[in-house]
Amino acid sequence: MKKLTIALVGQPNVGKSHLANALSGSNLKIGNFAGVTVEKALATFSKEGFSIEMIDLPGLYSLDDFSADEKVTKDFLLQENYDLILNVIDSTNLERNLSLSTQLMELGKKMVIALNMDDEAQKEGIDIDTEYMSKLLNVPCIKVSSKTKFNMSALLKSILHVSSSTLESPKLFFSDIIEEELQKITTFLNEKHFNHPMLSNRNIALGLLWQRKHIYALMHEFPLFVELQPLLNHALGYVYMYAQTEDIEDVISKEHSAFAKGITMDVMHLKTQKIKNLTQSIDALLIHKLLGLPIFVFLMWGLFQLTFTLGELPMNWIEAGFGWLGESVGAGIDNEILKSLIVDGMIAGVGGVIMFLPNIMILFLGISLLETTGYMSRVAFLLDGFFHKFGLHGKSFIPLVTGFGCSVPAYMAARTLKNKKDRLLTMFIIGFMSCGARLPVYVLFAGAFFDEDMAGNILFIIYISGALLGLIAGKILRITAFKGEDEPFVMEMPKYRLPSLKLIWFAVYSKSMMYIKKAGTFILLASMLIWFISSYPKNTLIEESYTAHIKTLQDDASKSTMENEMREKLMEKTYLGMMGKTIEPFFAPLGFDWKMSVATISGLAAKEVIVSTLGVLYSLGSEVSEDDSSLRDTIAKSISLPAAVSFIVFVMIYLPCIAATVVFAKEAESLKYTFYLVLFTFATAWALSFLAFHVAGYFYLT
Amino acid sequence: MNLSQISKNTKVMIKTITAQSLLKKRLYSLGLGSGKEVEITEISLQKNTIKIALGFSSIALRMEEAKMIEVEAIV
Repeated sequence: MKKLTIALVGQPNVGKSHLANALSGSNLKIGNFAGVTVEKALATFSKEGFSIEMIDLPGLYSLDDFSADEKVTKDFLLQENYDLILNVIDSTNLERNLSLSTQLMELGKKMVIALNMDDEAQKEGIDIDTEYMSKLLNVPCIKVSSKTKFNMSALLKSILHVSSSTLESPKLFFSDIIEEELQKITTFLNEKHFNHPMLSNRNIALGLLWQRKHIYALMHEFPLFVELQPLLNHALGYVYMYAQTEDIEDVISKEHSAFAKGITMDVMHLKTQKIKNLTQSIDALLIHKLLGLPIFVFLMWGLFQLTFTLGELPMNWIEAGFGWLGESVGAGIDNEILKSLIVDGMIAGVGGVIMFLPNIMILFLGISLLETTGYMSRVAFLLDGFFHKFGLHGKSFIPLVTGFGCSVPAYMAARTLKNKKDRLLTMFIIGFMSCGARLPVYVLFAGAFFDEDMAGNILFIIYISGALLGLIAGKILRITAFKGEDEPFVMEMPKYRLPSLKLIWFAVYSKSMMYIKKAGTFILLASMLIWFISSYPKNTLIEESYTAHIKTLQDDASKSTMENEMREKLMEKTYLGMMGKTIEPFFAPLGFDWKMSVATISGLAAKEVIVSTLGVLYSLGSEVSEDDSSLRDTIAKSISLPAAVSFIVFVMIYLPCIAATVVFAKEAESLKYTFYLVLFTFATAWALSFLAFHVAGYFYLT
Repeated sequence: MNLSQISKNTKVMIKTITAQSLLKKRLYSLGLGSGKEVEITEISLQKNTIKIALGFSSIALRMEEAKMIEVEAIV
């Protein structure tokens, strides 16, 4: 089977991912994080004897290297091997989209243009003559709609046709003076019988005139370059004189936009006069001077309320389910050690994490809605003024919101920032946005210490205060470590669009599966490890002396107190207990007991592990068979409120997890900054927890 | 006069853009350029950021960037 690699290229928000989805049917295997495409995503399927691989590249406005993610796409287009460019265009914004197409046409690759969102264009009375357009550009142009799946087979047919025939150079026209100079250079190359396997002579001439580095590098190797040089000098002199500028980029921009404008005027017809569209009316409310921000805060509050209240019900079922599983499995096992490993270690640990799946799903649903509807850039607009005061950029909002899901894609999403210092600063702040893995810890503690109707508010307060702390930290870092020039704020505000349910479901589903997978593998192993080091070595001496002592006691109350005391003493003598006791002094000023200290350290592996660690530690140390065996009740009983507050503050601030830290190091391209990040987060977490413990303690006592 | 001095809901035409090279290219690729008609559709509360409508799309800018865009009234 012949392999075909297609690069999907287009400006942001033209529906590339959606089109990839619609084209490949159910065979989609996108590995990126939905909404904001930060990594090259793959979709593979086969058709008519071709095995087709589509690479969904990050959207870009032009090939100018404006930001790091645009560079990813440009580098791919210039350096990697692929068979065809599928340029996706938003039919309702033809002229601007065509200016990128013009740049792509200059690359001298096989190309097909998909005019996406045809359904929308129809509604807006936009009529595009694709037949004429294909003829003008010498590139097949096909109207499609990924939403209604209109013309998918025609597009696929065209892709297969183009890729199996020889390269036909796209037609680009420039102003007379440029055409004249191009002709001179092309004629010279033709006369010298110069032949390049991939690029036509006109293409090379164009690359030379536009001063493209890669074409210069290519031509430099040939002896005829010496003769070419004076010709080029002459040509450039003419062009500069004519355009009245010394900057070739100015000339190129003007030529490209003139070409795009010309084509648009030739092929596009507006049937109806444009009336005030829906987006404008929604914007009148959502980015309203006074109402905009309160609406945003309200929506966020609603999301966290929903996360807690809607998640509560299935959470109780899952908790009950795992409780039942533990009991019934436990009843069938005679071996005490094996029983303890399975019930107290594996089931308690994994169950404690799986329990929060509904909350995680709701959170990711909210984030992907925010990303795909177009609301995200409105929030960036609303917050830019505010963020700017804290040394951040309006666009920082996008990675920061992603950070509420997981820090790993958030670090990658920071690539949309152009300036390195802005990027680093944003990345330092991302950790303050509590990630999804911390949600279980918060839900556990909020549920343990507050009534159901307050818990959602507490959750909201935790997230908001984390974000505010992040802003303050941003300001401090800005005036100390990351001094520098401001990055300009220029951002498109895309149309509001109803997201594709399939893509949303895909995002939530893949995140949920990742979560379950993590619980089933990583968390399971961690739970077993923690069970082991918290059960061994066995100390028979203590056990014997306590058992003897308990036997002498008469009433049940003192018996059970003694039993609990025995379990505590036993646990303290295990590996984990010894470890906990060693690090306890470090955490003691924060009000943590040794169990909490251990959970904090194990949370470095993944934040969910905190919950499973606490689950294992407290289920080993307490009466499992009693009614109040739920982890929440145990925690409410054995941890004081000030210590709990202090614990939450610590979890809120310290390092997200090892995996995220590795990604940070990769994205920051610096070990020094990674070291700073570790130091910075631990120091801040410790100091603020200390403060929180004492402030909470003061209020708690009075 | 430049774009930052224009009041809301007035249509103007862009004369020149005087930004440094990379920013200028970005503004071009977003569809701004001499001869284009634009209209300010929203100004943020503290007058830091503006939203402009341009043909079929909308763009957000800071006042600093708006100052780099010279415009003239449409007659």
